[in-house]
Amino acid sequence: MNKRLQRFLTISTTDPDDARKRKILNILLVGTGGISLLALATFVYWATTSQLNEMELTLLVGGSIASLVMVLTIYLVNYFWSGRVAALLYLLLLNFIFAFSDTPDQVANGRALIGFTIPIFLASILLTPAASFVFAVLSSLIIAAIAFSINIFPNTPAILGYLFIAFISWSSAGGLEHALSELRTINTNLDRVVTERTQALAEALSRERVQAGRNQAILNSIADGVIVFDNRWNATLANPAIKSMLDIPLELIINKNFRELIEHPRVAPRSRALLNAMLEHGTQPIGFRIEWSDKTLSVSAAQIYDNQRQNTGTVIVFRDFTHEAEVERLKSTFVGVVSHELRTPLNAILGYAEMFKESVYGPVNEKQINMAERIMKNTQRLLGLINDLLDQAQMEAGKLTIHNQVVRVADLLESLHGLMDKSAADKNLELTSEIDDTLPEALMGDPARLQQILVNLVNNAIKFTDRGTVHVRLFRQTGKWGIEVADTGQGIPEAELPYIFETFRQVDADATRSHGGFGLGLAIVKQLVHLMNGEIGVTSRHGEGSVFTVVLPLTTVEGVSTSWRHE
Amino acid sequence: MKKLALIIEDDEDLAAIFAEALRGIDFEVENVTDGMQARERLTQGETPFLILLDMHLPRVSGQELLKAIKSDGRFDGTWTIITTADARLAEDFRDQVDFALIKPILFGQLKDLASRLKPKDQL
Repeated sequence: MNKRLQRFLTISTTDPDDARKRKILNILLVGTGGISLLALATFVYWATTSQLNEMELTLLVGGSIASLVMVLTIYLVNYFWSGRVAALLYLLLLNFIFAFSDTPDQVANGRALIGFTIPIFLASILLTPAASFVFAVLSSLIIAAIAFSINIFPNTPAILGYLFIAFISWSSAGGLEHALSELRTINTNLDRVVTERTQALAEALSRERVQAGRNQAILNSIADGVIVFDNRWNATLANPAIKSMLDIPLELIINKNFRELIEHPRVAPRSRALLNAMLEHGTQPIGFRIEWSDKTLSVSAAQIYDNQRQNTGTVIVFRDFTHEAEVERLKSTFVGVVSHELRTPLNAILGYAEMFKESVYGPVNEKQINMAERIMKNTQRLLGLINDLLDQAQMEAGKLTIHNQVVRVADLLESLHGLMDKSAADKNLELTSEIDDTLPEALMGDPARLQQILVNLVNNAIKFTDRGTVHVRLFRQTGKWGIEVADTGQGIPEAELPYIFETFRQVDADATRSHGGFGLGLAIVKQLVHLMNGEIGVTSRHGEGSVFTVVLPLTTVEGVSTSWRHE
Repeated sequence: MKKLALIIEDDEDLAAIFAEALRGIDFEVENVTDGMQARERLTQGETPFLILLDMHLPRVSGQELLKAIKSDGRFDGTWTIITTADARLAEDFRDQVDFALIKPILFGQLKDLASRLKPKDQL
């Protein structure tokens, strides 16, 4: 019922203001129509009781019927054509009704004056706020005309009152319209925002679903085992690969604490210690290896941070390293065996050549001695290369370690001269050396590896110097000490400087042929220096020689317990 | 009487070179080329002045032989020299022996070293 009434009253139009006004007009029309019907019924009742004369009756009934017809007409105009025209007609109708609703003196100067305020007020609502003034003037003209027709002066307070009511209506309706239009703007904006947000949310949800699906697919398809832990080390996520890698069901991983996994009987004790260390000190920068049953797994971990840089957990990636570990072990065994097997016959060649040279089995002439020396020299070179390869292999496998003990710096230079003087003399070069006064007599270091650094640097200098000297200087810096090897050789082209410490690098292929060697010497020096936490640098001018400088941390013997000392 | 050197070395050429070097400085030389034989030899016969022991031997390892030598009081006066191509291994045993030589071992080097050795009870 209510709905039907609403449909009857509501006129659909694109302008919400127009719709509102036309609806109000319809409500007023229903009210006016109702009153007219009631009046008609009353008048008809009066007629039957003969309270009115015939002329009065005709006037009243006719007026009521006319009013009803007008109301219907205005409704149709309002409904089908224009709200404004309908409103104007309605307000004029009201004025007309009030003008004839009472005796002329009452209309011009009495109780009916109040009726005219209604169209003035309604004009501001149904037309525009300013229309109130038009109807105030119209009403004033009506009562003035009626007043003049009965020869009285128009009621000035009433006219002023009309204008005042018009003013009130104008300002309140204007405020109302303004408020309504603001409200509409706010509503429109709100609608737009809600629509946008909803759409964004829907997009984000679907994106997230796609992303999550993709992540899960990636996680499922990678061969590495992945476990994601929250910040209390409870496993929240794991992929199928980890299941086969650890050979335990996922239920034993998911929602379990990392500690339970570490305590699993398949973890080797040493690996357990490593995992516990990771748990306590957070993640380790470099991956490490653990033994799980008969498998070797490499473990690397990374912290997970959210947008606020808060640590929300850790992701651990396990990789099956069993095969690689086996290959590495074989490689290192192979290198060990090969180096041993190669060195033994070379030792024999060296020994026989020496015996020949020493005339063990009878006298030999000078040329034969010279030949024996050449055999020995080349064998030594070959042995040097094998040592280099072995060192390189050990360093690659991370097996070469530094064993520090007390080293007398003078001993280092003494044995350097013992080993290299002859090589220098063979090329008519001078090998000189000095030790800075500030350097302590003894310091902590690995004598064999320091010797190797010196020999390799000097060997390299001799190789690339054709005349002049190779000078070795041991020096001290604040908290450090160093080795400097300077030569007067051909120098190194500037463009080649960045590469000279690379494995198997010599300045050009011809150099390899004319100077011998793989170019491993400097690469080994650099790696040894790094193992000793030191640094190496080189300055060179093409044609003027090169200076290699090694700087190492200085640990003096005084700072070390005497049990380290060697006699 | 000549000093006796026991060379335990499985490589025939090296054994020959070491023997020649030691003979050159008036040693009497006895060669053993296999770990098992060496173990037997250590339990009987003349106590050598010097033992040159290769750490890599077939059947019985040099390490095991060294243990036998160290635990037998008869060898208290014997100079023990080990030979190996493995520098790290030499380092590990340096404290237990008189000398640890790393291959390649030069003819002259062994000769110089052995010629300087005096009987241990005269030190």
